[in-house]
Amino acid sequence: MESGAVHTQQQEEEKQKQQREEEEEKREQQKEEEEENFHVLAVDDSFIDRKLLERLLKESSYQVTLVDSGDKALEYLGLLDSIDNVNATSSSSSSSQSPQQEGMKVNLIMTDYCMPGMSGYDLLKRVKGSYWKDVPVVIMSSENIPSRIRMCLEEGAEEFLLKPLQLSDVEKLQTHLLKSPEKYSSIRIDDSSFNTESSSVTVSSKSNIASKRKALSPEIEERRPKLKGLAVV
Amino acid sequence: MDRKQLQYQVACMRKSLFDQGYLDEQFNQLEDLQDEANPNFVEEVVTLFYSDSARFIHNIEQAMINKPNIDYGKLDDYMHQFKGSSSSFGAKKVKKECSQFRECCSAGNIEGCIKTFRQLKLEHATLKRKLETYFQLVKQAGIAERR
Repeated sequence: MESGAVHTQQQEEEKQKQQREEEEEKREQQKEEEEENFHVLAVDDSFIDRKLLERLLKESSYQVTLVDSGDKALEYLGLLDSIDNVNATSSSSSSSQSPQQEGMKVNLIMTDYCMPGMSGYDLLKRVKGSYWKDVPVVIMSSENIPSRIRMCLEEGAEEFLLKPLQLSDVEKLQTHLLKSPEKYSSIRIDDSSFNTESSSVTVSSKSNIASKRKALSPEIEERRPKLKGLAVV
Repeated sequence: MDRKQLQYQVACMRKSLFDQGYLDEQFNQLEDLQDEANPNFVEEVVTLFYSDSARFIHNIEQAMINKPNIDYGKLDDYMHQFKGSSSSFGAKKVKKECSQFRECCSAGNIEGCIKTFRQLKLEHATLKRKLETYFQLVKQAGIAERR
């Protein structure tokens, strides 16, 4: 019957509209989450340390971009070409005062100290002399050398962490992140090519960092194996 | 063997790895990072380490054997990286040998370097065997759990 057919068509259209709206909502949500989650640029030449860093940072609901050298980090930040920050591939004026509105944000830079080529200290200096200067930079090192630590802190490093890194180290970085500006926009770069690892941007289903607090001490001190229903005698 | 028995075996082996000094706290840290989304994180890290370390060992050997003038700086660099990697997953004994090696390096003591390196390779291989067994056991216990 006529009315039956029309009814079905209407239903179909409704359904499609609903689907589209849901998809749109999902995209919006993802975008929001991306904006809410802090983005960390992590620099380390060691494959293992990068893997560890990635896991630690994602566990804390950060978005992570991993690169394996200071040069790659500078490239990512659009600082590679010259002191004037003129980047031929990006759009017009790379103004040193106000970064352009759209684009990526970096809330924290974590870098290893000892790397072939550019050291973490050199990277720190470059960053502090650029329009990314307000982004907190954390240096990591396996060596506990007071003069090195002092040097980095004096150059503007927010924190100096001793390797190997633990979850508690990453968690305490939250305070540094909350201090930094909300967004650090830049010329939008296609950042998929920068990643040395396969996964970078993670849209975490966990909520905003500020509201998330892990019960640290019991977990860290627990030495029992993570197997359920087991009593070790 | 039932699940409980397997899990008990896993716990025992784990405990002995720690008691005998093969692993340290960092291994715990890595295990704590495992969850449903990342159930094999530790094994992945260890696998990564061992696939990488063969190269280190080769490089170090090349830099030491049959060399009239040993480049201690280079040796130290290699060992620094190797030490860093092993410490990242809690390989306690391996890390200790790395430190020892670096001391011999800074003293220009090639005999010491050679001796220490031999010991390092031994510890490196031993740990690999033990961890392979451990992860196998963990998998078995996990599978038993799912049944």
